[in-house]
Amino acid sequence: MARERILKGIAVSNGIAQGTVFIYETKKVEVFQTPILTVYLKDETERFEKAVEKTKQDLLNIQKRINQEIGGNFAQFLDAQIMMLNDKEIIDAVKRRIIEEKKNAEYVYHKVINEYATRLGESKDQYFKERVADIWDVGSRVLRNLLGLTHSSIVDIPKNSIVVAHDISPSDAALLNPTNVLGIATEAGGRTSHTAITARALEIPAVLGIKGLMGKIANGENVIIDGDRGILIKNPSAGRLHSYRLAKKKDQELEKVLSPYCELPAKTRDGRHIDVSANIEFFSEYTHARRYGAEGIGLFRTEFLYLTRRGSPSEEEQFRVYNALAQKMKPHPVIIRTYDLGGDKVFPDYHEPNPFLGWRAIRVSLDEIDFFKMQLRAILRASVNRNVKIMFPMISTYEEIKRINLIFNEVKNELRAEKIDFDEEIQFGIMMETPSAAIMSPHLAQQVDFFSIGSNDLTQYTLGVDRGNEKISQLFDHFHPAVLHLIKTIVDSGHQSHIWVGLCGELAADPLAIPLLIGFGIDELSMNPASIPRAKMVIRSITIPACEEIAQGALGFRTALEVKRYLRRTIHKKFPGIEKVIK
Amino acid sequence: MIKEKITILDENGLHALPASRFVKLAEKFESNVTLKKGDIEVSGKSIMGILTLACEKGSTVILSCDGKDEKEALKALRKILEGQD
Repeated sequence: MARERILKGIAVSNGIAQGTVFIYETKKVEVFQTPILTVYLKDETERFEKAVEKTKQDLLNIQKRINQEIGGNFAQFLDAQIMMLNDKEIIDAVKRRIIEEKKNAEYVYHKVINEYATRLGESKDQYFKERVADIWDVGSRVLRNLLGLTHSSIVDIPKNSIVVAHDISPSDAALLNPTNVLGIATEAGGRTSHTAITARALEIPAVLGIKGLMGKIANGENVIIDGDRGILIKNPSAGRLHSYRLAKKKDQELEKVLSPYCELPAKTRDGRHIDVSANIEFFSEYTHARRYGAEGIGLFRTEFLYLTRRGSPSEEEQFRVYNALAQKMKPHPVIIRTYDLGGDKVFPDYHEPNPFLGWRAIRVSLDEIDFFKMQLRAILRASVNRNVKIMFPMISTYEEIKRINLIFNEVKNELRAEKIDFDEEIQFGIMMETPSAAIMSPHLAQQVDFFSIGSNDLTQYTLGVDRGNEKISQLFDHFHPAVLHLIKTIVDSGHQSHIWVGLCGELAADPLAIPLLIGFGIDELSMNPASIPRAKMVIRSITIPACEEIAQGALGFRTALEVKRYLRRTIHKKFPGIEKVIK
Repeated sequence: MIKEKITILDENGLHALPASRFVKLAEKFESNVTLKKGDIEVSGKSIMGILTLACEKGSTVILSCDGKDEKEALKALRKILEGQD
């Protein structure tokens, strides 16, 4: 029996899957050279034209499918591919050379495409280098159609497959069939790759960026994909299979117990309503948000707009996405957060030794005013739906709010001058994720309409711990008393200024934390859509006075461990039943 | 024929999206449109051609238009290259 082996990658889509490896390779199409008799040359050029036309139809179909499933302007990259396909220079050159060289269409087309690809591959610029893959994506489609080969092996993947590939091209990722594909693992890619986006949209567990994957795995092997922890387990041992099976069974049972809560309001037993909303990253995830019973989008991350297209999307493109989301979520609110990008993402040449303490998020926006204004205009225009709120990430000083306000008002004035309608009452909020913002919160609260606590970053900055660093990640704990005291400060300052305070971050979905946060007075909890039913179940089991008592008690401890022990004990005593949903 | 030297100012260079906008616009003109970078000259109506020029930020290209509507073509196409459109 082969030994168990664990391969590490990046967790991009949650869930656990066990299945059989299906290695997906885009084999290079083999092209042969055949002489063509002069009388048949015209047929040959027509055969080529037909293959181009068929490829165009294929791409349009894929684009339609992506638009339906992933939504927004995501299928735009296919526009460029369709243009490459229709390039008149290339089509004319191929037709001309078929006749001049008296050779078959496959051979000539391959040669022409190869000339372009080679030239582009010589570029020193990474962006242009990577476009070679696009050229071949289109080129091999045409060649396959010429050769009568089916392109879509990915459509016919057998049942119970874990798809393993070096990379999956965007157009192929869109064709993944969620009934047969249980999980995905690739060597290339990261959180914002097309494969990751598709996997999340289809709720297929996926681990990407596994180094050396293709050399370590064979067709037909039994593997587990753990999309929560970002690992692939090859030849899982009997014990491992057993524990994953148990975990999966427990998940399924829990899901059964919790699913009725999707539809129920998030009201405590004594009648206080807590807004439970969803954190989403992509437009298409609004369907998950609605299915799980979110009462709004508490955090719409806008980075993907930037990252998937490697550059700033135009105002119009942004507006279309924001507007569509606001319309889909009506009458529930949608909180749009402006770009939370590191400087290195905006300027590839920019590097810094300590990005989390560096030029990122609002700091980049405030330095790149045109870029920032474009996003503000798009959000304001979408606010005509009257359910849009705007939020700014990583505020650490009072001056930042002042500067944002100046720019925001300038943009509003521009829109007024252009007679473009927007919501004059649009709420203006800030993320509370730095200790300085928490400590200064009484002053900040007077300048904004709401606070949203980003518990992950607040923990990281308060404890000075990068949880991505394995050596110290055990120091990262949301329940550290220092973090809890800051959360309490933020909520109190907000309420003193009569503004509402929400929390988006992992803490919001933790059943152990929910009674505590509500005890602090949190008005809104925003989380992963899939966690919503559980949070509602917890909220519906508790009462405000008991939560306040728990919160009061929790502030008296010295360590995270003491806090957690206390919470387990008291929650069990006060609200029996919740422990069932604590993982 | 008229021509003009233009520096690409877009952060990302003449990448796929502006390149496709350029081609779509170039196709609307009757004039012959070419782009030249270094020794390589390509048709301004070919997206593959333009991409293979790999114009990153700061590179200089010569845009030439030849035909009845060359003036209008040059004026409109220049804007895309300069990132004003």
